[in-house]
Amino acid sequence: MSISVKDILTDKGVHPSEEHLEKIEAKWAEIRQLKGNLENANLDDADIALRNIPGGDHVA
Amino acid sequence: MPKELLSKTTTEVAKMIENKEVSPVELTQSLLDHSHGLNDQVNAYISFREDAALAEAKVAEDEISQGNYRGPLHGIPLAIKDNIYVGGEVTTMASKIHGDFVSKDDSSVVKKLREAGVVLTGKLNMHEYAWGIDNNSPHFGPVANPWNPDKVPGGSSGGSGAAVAADMSFTTLGTDTAGSIRIPSAACGLVGLKPTHGRVAKYGCFPLAWSLDHIGPMSKSVADAAATLQAISGHDPRDPTSVDVAVSDYSATLDSDPKGLKIGVEEDYFFRDVDSPIEDAVRKQIDQLVDQGATLKTVKIPSLRHSEWAELATSLSEASAIHHTDLQNRPEDFGADIRFLFELGELFSSVEYLQAQQIRRQIKQEFTAALQEVDVIIAPTLPVMAPDIGSPVAQLNGQDVDLIDAFIRYTGPSNLTGLPALTVPVGLTDGLPIGLQIIGRAFDEAGVLTVGAQIERTNPMEGRRASIGA
Repeated sequence: MSISVKDILTDKGVHPSEEHLEKIEAKWAEIRQLKGNLENANLDDADIALRNIPGGDHVA
Repeated sequence: MPKELLSKTTTEVAKMIENKEVSPVELTQSLLDHSHGLNDQVNAYISFREDAALAEAKVAEDEISQGNYRGPLHGIPLAIKDNIYVGGEVTTMASKIHGDFVSKDDSSVVKKLREAGVVLTGKLNMHEYAWGIDNNSPHFGPVANPWNPDKVPGGSSGGSGAAVAADMSFTTLGTDTAGSIRIPSAACGLVGLKPTHGRVAKYGCFPLAWSLDHIGPMSKSVADAAATLQAISGHDPRDPTSVDVAVSDYSATLDSDPKGLKIGVEEDYFFRDVDSPIEDAVRKQIDQLVDQGATLKTVKIPSLRHSEWAELATSLSEASAIHHTDLQNRPEDFGADIRFLFELGELFSSVEYLQAQQIRRQIKQEFTAALQEVDVIIAPTLPVMAPDIGSPVAQLNGQDVDLIDAFIRYTGPSNLTGLPALTVPVGLTDGLPIGLQIIGRAFDEAGVLTVGAQIERTNPMEGRRASIGA
């Protein structure tokens, strides 16, 4: 089952105009295409830098 | 007071203020008169602080006359982008929704500018919520490029770029999430520095995308950018991304020569799909540095091929999170262009956002490795020249390309990595300025400024200035 752009936005309480919806669908397709080559990026075990710092933002 | 004084750089006029040859009050009045006279044409200012500025100038003048000169920004009249809070005054973000927003506190950078003794002349136009690159505001009108008023000034700090280029502010601050300091600086023939993420505290600056946002100087010269950065750098614990590292003397090494400098060039991303006159101007400057004793090395950063997606996934997601409630409840109050971007940003999944952060770390690691081999990486700032106001496309070697995609392609990677990146003007084509970008090691703003000064000394602009304001 594929979920449409309109369905995703409606589910989030966002309601673009019909004209905007067409533009969003076209740009989203471009972004999906841009993402396509991530298959080569070997991300499965790539660490990231989101940090959980107990005690505040700047506690070492 | 002669109008020619307004065309001087900040550091030039600062010496005259220090020597009591120029009155800050008279200089401020002159800049305000000049700015009022041009604002119908340039539209750089959203609001003026006429009375407050003259009062601040009088305080500066009295302090200096009593021998209490604070430094190179003391008594300098300047305006700032209207997403940076001045306590007790309206900050609009160039939006309808925040059109009456009054902050309680000064932002961290305004507090520091006040400590340096500046005179704040007003707030500058910008792309709504900083989420765009042409500064064609539906609420405050388009900003004109002082080099050619039919062209965009770049954005989102377009009012900042136009104001400095047209002598309506001696120096200024911009904010940069995908290039919004460097894009208008390049388009308006200025020096613009996006510092290392964490170097300049963002408390009191309305966010566009938390993990990508930066504040930095936009100035007439490298020395001015160094002096402005000096004033605003430093830790502020009220900003969770502020980093407590030592602040260098950014002016100390500007006079050094390029002998021994190791320049890196990344060909596969930064020199692919660039308009030919821009590429020629950038390579010419690299050759000149090599002629003066620098060495050149090709570096590889393979993950850059994923950077456009990672930048989009990160910036669109974070910006849409910030504006989610208003997008649900009052979408018609956003300009159509940014409403479209906020709607687009709602589509990314949490998995995709986190994959973008994985890509981001890979790009950081590859830049760090490259910058162990070389001192700086040089690239074009923009792959295309500024188009006409209202155009959604730019020209790249005769072909139409999407303006947003093109303008952020070479600047976005330094927002992902957080590394410092400076643009300096290196010539003109069709009467518009070309920008060269210098990317450096983390917290080595002094390094990129020094290379910028070396390029500036070759006089690539040959003294040419914007036609409006000159």
